Amino acid sequence: MTLADVPVIPQLDLELRHIRKRYGDFVAVNDVSLQVGKGQFICLLGPSGCGKTTTLRCVAGLEEPDAGDILIGGREVTGEPPWKRDIAMMFQDFALFPHMTVAKQVGFGLEMLKKPKAQIAARVAEVLKAFEIGHLAERRPAQLSGGQKQRVALARAMVTEPRILLLDEPIGALDYSLRETVMLELKTLQKRSGISFIWVTHDQNEAFSLGDHVVVMNHARIEQQGRPDEVLSRPRTAFVAGFIQGNNVLEGKAGLVRDGVLEVMTALGTFRVPLLDLAPPAAGSALSFSVRAERLIERPGEDVPNRIALRCITVEYFGAFRRHVLEGAGGTVVKYDQFGALPQSIREGENIVLGWSLDNGVLHRAPPA
Amino acid sequence: MHWKTRSRLTGWLLGTVTIGFLLFQWAPMFTMFTLSFSGENGGTTFPMNGVSLHWYRNLWEADLFDDFKPPMLRSFLLALACSATTVVLSVCAAQAMRGRFRGNGLYFYLLLLGLMAPGILVGFGFAILTRLLGIEGAWNTTAYVVHVSWALPFGFLTMLAVFNRFDPKLEEAALTLGATRLTAFRRITWPLILPGVIGTALFGFSLSYDEYARTLFTSGSDGTLPLAVMAQLDRQLTPELYAIGTATTAMSLIVISLCAIGFWLRARALRGSPT
Ligand SMILES: Nc1ncnc2c1ncn2[C@@H]1O[C@H](COP(=O)(O)OP(=O)(O)OP(=O)(O)O)[C@@H](O)[C@H]1O
Ligand SMILES: [Mg+2]
Repeated sequence: MTLADVPVIPQLDLELRHIRKRYGDFVAVNDVSLQVGKGQFICLLGPSGCGKTTTLRCVAGLEEPDAGDILIGGREVTGEPPWKRDIAMMFQDFALFPHMTVAKQVGFGLEMLKKPKAQIAARVAEVLKAFEIGHLAERRPAQLSGGQKQRVALARAMVTEPRILLLDEPIGALDYSLRETVMLELKTLQKRSGISFIWVTHDQNEAFSLGDHVVVMNHARIEQQGRPDEVLSRPRTAFVAGFIQGNNVLEGKAGLVRDGVLEVMTALGTFRVPLLDLAPPAAGSALSFSVRAERLIERPGEDVPNRIALRCITVEYFGAFRRHVLEGAGGTVVKYDQFGALPQSIREGENIVLGWSLDNGVLHRAPPA
Repeated sequence: MHWKTRSRLTGWLLGTVTIGFLLFQWAPMFTMFTLSFSGENGGTTFPMNGVSLHWYRNLWEADLFDDFKPPMLRSFLLALACSATTVVLSVCAAQAMRGRFRGNGLYFYLLLLGLMAPGILVGFGFAILTRLLGIEGAWNTTAYVVHVSWALPFGFLTMLAVFNRFDPKLEEAALTLGATRLTAFRRITWPLILPGVIGTALFGFSLSYDEYARTLFTSGSDGTLPLAVMAQLDRQLTPELYAIGTATTAMSLIVISLCAIGFWLRARALRGSPT
C-alpha cells in the first residue's frame, strides 16, 4: 500500500502505517499500525523486549523503520530527522545533560528554536515554577534526587509544547508511593496541555489507569488495542488474557456451535463460550478462552452452565481482594478472586465447585500456537 | 586474618611499590636538575663543585643557545601541529568507530599497528618511500606526517575509551529537543568529551616533542630539538645541556599543571558549587 492510496487524516496527531524495523535478522517491530487522535493518552504495554522502545524511537526519528509510514499531524515525516519532527521524548533514565544547570537544560529546546534570551528566561522560570522545581534552577543533575530528575526531564521535554510527547517508562525509576502521585499529576497535565502522550510501560496498572487507548504488544506485534475497559473485559488473544492479571486462560478444542455459543472441550470439562463476532472455528481445532478470576461464582446454582470441581491449594490476601489458587483435573490451575471485605469462605485443602455465567467467558481470536 | 586487614596490607605494599616506581622515574630528571645548578667549574657528573646559575646564564648569553633556538622552535611548532592534528583525527576516528561500520575491527587493528612498529624502521622506511617519490624530507612535511601517525593510535585509544563511557542517549535527547547533529555535537558531546580531548592533545604534543627515532631520517636538513641535543651530546657535554633539559621539563610541567587545574575547575563545576 502506498501513501497515495490512503486518505490523510489531518486531525490525527500521529499515525503509524505498517511500521517494520529489523536489527539484522531480528525483527524488533513488525507491522505496527496505530492512530492517535488529538490530545490522546496512549499507553504502549508489553513484556520486556517486545519492541515498545523501538516503536517509540521510530516515532522520534532516532531509528529508521525498514518499512511503513509515520505521519505526525497529518504530515509525512518518515524520512525526517528528529529535530524536524514536532515531538519531544522523555528517556527512561532521563538523559539529563550532566554539564548544564536545570534552568539551562529546560531552556535548551527554546534555544534550539532561536527564541530571544529574555523570552527563554521568562518561559523557563514559568515552567520551573509550574513543575515546582524553581528552587533547583541552578543545580546540576548530579545534585538532584530521582524524583527531581524526573520533573526536570519532563519540564525539559514539555517546555516547547510539542504535538507529541514520547515517554519511555517515565516513572519506572520512582518508588511506589511517589508513582501514584506522579501518575495523577501527569494525567492532569496531559489533559490540560492537550499534548498527545505516548507512554511506554510494562506495568499494566499504569497502562489501564492512565491510557485513553491501550496498545498491547508482544513479539514485535500489536496483539490488541482499544479502550482500557475494552481490553480488560475482552482480551482478544490468549497472550493478552494471560498478560493482564486476574484472567484464567483455558485451552481446549472446539466443539459444536449452537445459537452463537461454542462448546469447548478442555481438561477441566466441557464449557459453553459465546462466539460474539468471531467466526465459528472448525470442530476439533485448538483454541482458548478466558474467564476473569473475580467473575467466578462459588457453589453455582443449576442455571449456571459452566462449572468446575476444584481443590483449593492456597489463599492469598491482598487487602482489596482475596485470591484463591485452585487445582482441577489434570493439574490445571484456576484463580478465583473474592472481594477482600467478605469473610473467607474457602479454606486451603477444601474441595469446591466454581462456575461462571455464559457471558463471562471470552473466546480468543488466534488459536494457541 | 580478616580480609579487610589483608587488603589494607596489600594497599600498603602497592603504595610502596608505586612510590618506588615514582622515585625511579624521577631520579634521572632530578640528577639532571641538580647538576644544572653546579658551579662554573662543575662538570657533567658528581661532585657538583659549587652551586650557581652559571650554566643558565651561559645558556642565555652564549651562542650555544642560538644553536638550539631554531630546533626548539621547530620542535614546538611541530608538536603543536601534531597535537592539533591528532585531536581532530582521533575524535573523528573514534566517532567513526561508534557507528560500527563494516570492517571496523580491521580498522581498529590497523590503527594500533602504528604502536607496534619500531620507530627507527618506520622513520627509515618512510624516508625511503619519500625519496622514491621524489619528495624532499623536511621537519614540517615528512616528519610531521610520521609524528602524526605515531601519536594517532594513542589519541585514538584515549578517545575510544572516552566515547565508550559517553551515553549516546544524551545526544539523542538533544536531537529530540530540536538540535541538529552539529549543534548536538557542539553543545552536548564536545563539552563532555573535552577532558579526553585535552588528554589526547597532551599525548600528541609530548609524543612529537621528544621523538627522536622517527625524526632522524625524516626531518631533512633542519632538525628538531631531540636531534640537536643528540648532536650536542656527541660534540661536547657540558652542564648547559642539563640546563636546557631542566628548562624544557619545567615548561612541560607548567603546561601539565595548567591542564590539571583546568580539569579540577571543570570537575568542580560539574559537581556544582556547594550551596
Ligand atoms: N540496537 C539494537 N540492535 C539489535 N537488537 C536490538 C537493538 N535495539 C533493540 N534490539 C532488540 O529489539 C527487541 C526490542 O527491543 P526494545 O528495546 O524495543 O524492547 P522493549 O519493549 O522496550 O523492552 P523493555 O521493556 O525491556 O525496555 C529486543 O529483543 C532487543 O534485543
Ligand atoms: Mg524499553
